[in-house]
Order: sequence, then C-alpha cells, then structure tokens
Amino acid sequence: MLVVNGLRATVGEKEILQGLNLTVNPGEIHAIMGPNGSGKSTLAHVLSGRDGYTVTGGSATFAGQDLLALEPEQRAHLGLFLAFQYPVELPGVNNTYFLKAALNSIRKARGETELDAVSFLRLIKEKLKILHLDESLLKRAVNAGFSGGEKKRNEIFQMALLEPKLAILDETDSGLDIDALRVVADGVNALRSPERSMIVVTHYQRLLDYIQPDFVHVLAKGQIIRSGGKELALELETTGYGWIDAEGLAA
Amino acid sequence: MTDHALMSWLPQLAPAAPAWLATLQAAARAQVQTQIAAPDAEAWRYTSLNHLLEQGFVPIDETITALQPDDLDEVLIPGLASRRVVFVNGRYAPELSATEALPPGVHLDSLRDVLAHDPDAVRVLLTAEPATVPLFMALNLAGLDDGLVLRLDRAAILAQPLELIHLSIGLDQPSVAQPHHLIVLGDGAQATLVERYVSLGAAVYCTNAVIEIQLGRDAVLTHERLQTESQNAFHLSGLSLRQDANSRYQSVNLGLGSRWSRTELLTQFCAAHAECDLRGLYLAGDDQRIDYHLDVNHAVPNCTSRETFKGIIYGKGRAVFDGRVVVAKDAQKSDAAMSNQNLLLSPQAEIDTKPQLEINADDVRCSHGTTVGQIEPEKLFYLRSRGISAALARRMLCLGFADEIIHTLHSETLREHLSEQVGQRLESAPWD
Ligand SMILES: Nc1ncnc2c1ncn2[C@@H]1O[C@H](COP(=O)(O)OP(=O)(O)O)[C@@H](O)[C@H]1O
Ligand SMILES: [Mg+2]
Repeated sequence: MLVVNGLRATVGEKEILQGLNLTVNPGEIHAIMGPNGSGKSTLAHVLSGRDGYTVTGGSATFAGQDLLALEPEQRAHLGLFLAFQYPVELPGVNNTYFLKAALNSIRKARGETELDAVSFLRLIKEKLKILHLDESLLKRAVNAGFSGGEKKRNEIFQMALLEPKLAILDETDSGLDIDALRVVADGVNALRSPERSMIVVTHYQRLLDYIQPDFVHVLAKGQIIRSGGKELALELETTGYGWIDAEGLAA
Repeated sequence: MTDHALMSWLPQLAPAAPAWLATLQAAARAQVQTQIAAPDAEAWRYTSLNHLLEQGFVPIDETITALQPDDLDEVLIPGLASRRVVFVNGRYAPELSATEALPPGVHLDSLRDVLAHDPDAVRVLLTAEPATVPLFMALNLAGLDDGLVLRLDRAAILAQPLELIHLSIGLDQPSVAQPHHLIVLGDGAQATLVERYVSLGAAVYCTNAVIEIQLGRDAVLTHERLQTESQNAFHLSGLSLRQDANSRYQSVNLGLGSRWSRTELLTQFCAAHAECDLRGLYLAGDDQRIDYHLDVNHAVPNCTSRETFKGIIYGKGRAVFDGRVVVAKDAQKSDAAMSNQNLLLSPQAEIDTKPQLEINADDVRCSHGTTVGQIEPEKLFYLRSRGISAALARRMLCLGFADEIIHTLHSETLREHLSEQVGQRLESAPWD
C-alpha cells in the first residue's frame, strides 16, 4: 500500500530525512517512535504534501501512484489521512460546512455522488458517538478555542468520517489524559480493518497498550534505525533513546 | 472655479425653496467651492478624484415610472423584510415600496413631500453643518432633493426591519443621484434598518447618498448597510450620526460592489453612556477601489465606541481604511477600540490603512490595531489535507475571515445571503 524508499528531505539547508525506508501493507499498524526532533512529523508532512520541504532523493508510492507528485488534496482523495500533531484552528470556518466539504470533495474525486444533507447528518451523528463528542461541536468553528484533548479527538472524528485507506496519526496521544486516550484508542480500533492501514507516531509505549501495532520502528536522525514487533516498544520504554548516540547507529 | 466638474452635479435651486433652505444650500455650495479650491489633503491623500470626475455625471430631473414591482425581484432578498422603502435613482418610488401598517408612533415620509408640505419640520431635522461637512456631503446638501424621512416617537418600536433600497438604473447620460435621508429616533425608540444599494443593469452612474441619524436618550438603532452595486457604479455615501445619552447604535457596513466607492462615517456623542459599534467588511478586487473614512468623536465623557473593519483585497483591487477617533479634553472615561484587518490575496492588491487616535483626555481606554496579511499556509494545508481543493480551501478561509463581521448581521437570511455573495465574488478571484 505504501512503499517509502530511500526518502531524503530537507528544510532549508538542513537534511531531516536521510534515506528512510518503510513499507506498509493493507491492514497493518506501524508504530513509529523516536526522540524529539528526529523527523517523525517531517515524514508525516512530506507524505501528505505539506509545502516547505524539499524532497532531495528517494520515492514514495501509495496505492500504486507516485505520492510525491500529487497535490495534498489528491493524496487525500486516494485515501491518505494525517491526524495532525498540532491541529490548526480555523476561526470562522464552521465545522459542519468543513466536514461536508471534505467528505464530498473526496466522494466527488472518486466518482461517487455527493451526500445530501440528511444522509450527511445521520452519518456525522453516528461518528460523533464513536468519539464521545457532543453535537454542539458541529456548530463551532474548526478547532477554534478547542482544548488540546478536543482537538485530538476531533482529528480522529474526521478520520472516522473520511474513512481513509492509510492514516498517519502524529502524536495523537500526547496531551491526552488516560480517559481521553482510551476514547481516542477505541475510535482508532473501531476503524481497524483488513483494508485500512495506520502509521501511529508516538513517544510513549502507553498508547500501544490500547492500539496493538504489528510493527514498531525507531526513527532517529532521519532514518529508521531499528524495526521489530511490539516488544521493541516495551524495550524502548525501559532503555529510552540514549543508546542511539552511544551505538552510533545514525550518521 | 464654477466650471469645476463637480459643480455640474448640482441642480438649479428650486425657486420656491424656503429662505432657510436657500441659505443652507448656498452655504453648502460655498463649502463645495472651498473644498474644490483647497481640498483637505489628508482626506484625499490616498484617493484621486480624477476617475470620478472624468465620467461627467449630471443630475437627471426625471422620475422613473416604467418599473413594475416584479422588476424588483432580482434584487430582493427573499424572507428579509416585509416593509421596504425604495428609491429609484434617488427618488422615492411609492409604487415599489411596501410600508403598510406601520406600528404606532412610526412616521415615514419622503423628503420631497415633507419639504413641500411642512418644510419647517425638515429644518429641525437637518443637523449637518454645511460649512464643516466633507466635500461630498456638502455637494449632497447643496443638491438636496429627495430622501427618506423616518421618525419614531418616544418609545416607538419598529420591531420588523425596514429595508431602504437604493435602486439605480442607467440612463442615456451618466447620471448622479443624491438622496438625503433623515432618521430620527425619539427617546427609548428602537428600530432595525437595512440599507441597500443595488443596480439594475450595468450602466455607469453615481450615487452620492447622505444619511443623517439622530438617536434620542436610550434609543437603539441597528443599521446594516449593504453596498452590492454593479462593477460599473460609482458610490459615495456619508453617514452623520448624533447620539444622546445611553443610546446605542450598531452598524455593519458591507462594501462588495461598485468600481469606485467612498464611505464616510461621522459620529458624535452628545451625552454620556452612549455606545456606537461600527463594523465593516469590504471586498475589493479586479480594478475596484473602495475607501472607508471614519471620524468618531468622543466629545463627552463615558461613551464607548468600537470600530472593527476587515478587508479582502485581490487582483488589482485597492482599499483605504482611514479611521480617526477623537477624544475631547473633557471626555474622560471614553472607551474606544479600533481594529482593521486585511487579507491581501494577490501581490498587486493594495491597502492603505491609517487608524488614528487623537486623545486629549487623560483617563481613557483607547486602542487600535491593524493587520495586513495573506492566507496562512498551514491553514490552507490543513484543509487540503482533508481533500478540499486549493481554490475552495482559500474561499473557505476568506469566508472564515469575513465571518467575524457577517455573523453579526441581525438575520440568518441576511447572513447566508451575504456569505454566498462573498463566496461568489471570490470564485472569480485570481489567486496570484
Ligand atoms: N519548518 C521547519 N523549519 C525549520 N526546521 C524544521 C522545520 N520543521 C522541522 N524542522 C526541524 O526538523 C527536525 C525534525 O523535526 P520534526 O519532524 O518535527 O521532529 P519530530 O516530529 O520527530 O519531533 C527538527 O530538528 C526540527 O527543528
Ligand atoms: Mg513531531
């Protein structure tokens, strides 16, 4: 589904991704862990098409297409979704209008009919329940004045609505208390399916107690320097990331 | 200087005019001449009059009678207001208006009528000082002809909004219309007025309207002004507001249409604890230019004013925001906050923004802030990452920016209508 090969990307003069390899097959959940500043968000942004990064080498294919050649919205149409580490506040942009525009843009791009108002509302209420979100959310502006936890839940709510093929969750767990974490994890688990893959970026093993990953990767200095199963996350929990420099694994 | 192009905007003085009116109009004429000879450099710093003068506008003494009520359909906003007063090219059009069953204490007349039958009544309502008003208000006064006279007695309430429509139709010659409205709310009276400027067709014409408003003690007026004229129209409008104690004036000024427009808002607090809230949204694109000039006078203590204007400028559009708040020496405890935020969508778009506070008292709360920015890339990316096209995403962000003003309109119908209008305008906006 997603094949990233030798991906290199810079911001300004600085090379952040330094030859990154990652393959995600349908239905798999991959956890990416790593120290602050190692390039996890950069990977998420480059894959979803954010401006400001220059890809200087390597490739990324998604659903058989050259992902890096596509506009951000085209990537979303193909089924890519990014749950932002820092969701953006959009004052004055009504949530319902936003969700409808997003869903119908994707449906249209896939040659499906746009949802009418009634079916849309029914669908949206069903998804709100999964995330234990109040309907008053629909009347508010997107993320404007939301608490940190509300913003994160809102990201997963959007994911539930848009039903992507591959979701990248960038530190969705940070800043969540244990109850909110459970709600978010339940929301994510409800979306697990043999066709849907996820890349879960996290700092803490904690989230992985709730969302069981198939693979765990350590990203450091712009590369995946170790991969393993769930037990790698447990190991990291005890060792921390201090060993990375000590072992001199990254350039 | 009598051959100046602006002098030709003036009709002949009516021979039957009462002496006081003749005196007033002569004073207004003199002010026009003074202003032409030595224009107020600050007031005209960003705007050249040439484009306006080149058009050769002349007043047309002609009442348009050919219109049928259903000709109005294309400019009406369904569900907005059941009562409306329509002016066609500056003249009251009773056959297009709907003013039945006004509540008790609400009096609605045309200025022509009142001038003909009870001219002295107009005399007390006209408060604009011809010798001190800005150029185009003086021109309007000098050419005083018709307008709306709306009077609310003490405690009278006009609960349903009244729509005041300026409908303009092009004539063979580029014409100028100069309606002059007088709105007077007695103590404790309340009303909502939706003032609209619309065009039928796309001819070149000019409107130079003045609206004088007096609010008695505790009176409340909600005033929404929607300028959506054709892209060939020239638009000038002047507001002169005087507020008595405890009165509240809240207005929204939307400038979406016309090729060249200038709006002057002059407000004056006459007694304590009055509040004045001026909000505005302007959209200037293509070759449009749109100017706002605010002159808010805190002449007495304990009054509050808010000036909140936002602009979206694209293509080769140009806008001017020139806002001035003056706090007099004795006007202690004045509270004023002015802000002007602008979104520039193209490199050629231009805004001149000049907020000024002139504070002569020492115990006041006054602030002003200005921003000029572009659409923020991270917001745009957020929307696009959800599958929304760049063009729609930009429009959504502009509408989000505009919403702070639009959502303050009194009715849902109007809010939806205006969002749609802004959205449509932005659909044609070039993005770079
Ligand atoms: N827009 C940017 N401008 C400059 N440096 C950036 C930018 N984005 C990321 N970086 C740098 O790239 C490195 C990786 O950042 P990031 O991908 O956010 O790390 P992580 O998500 O793993 O904490 C950091 O050193 C960060 O300072
Ligand atoms: Mg990060």
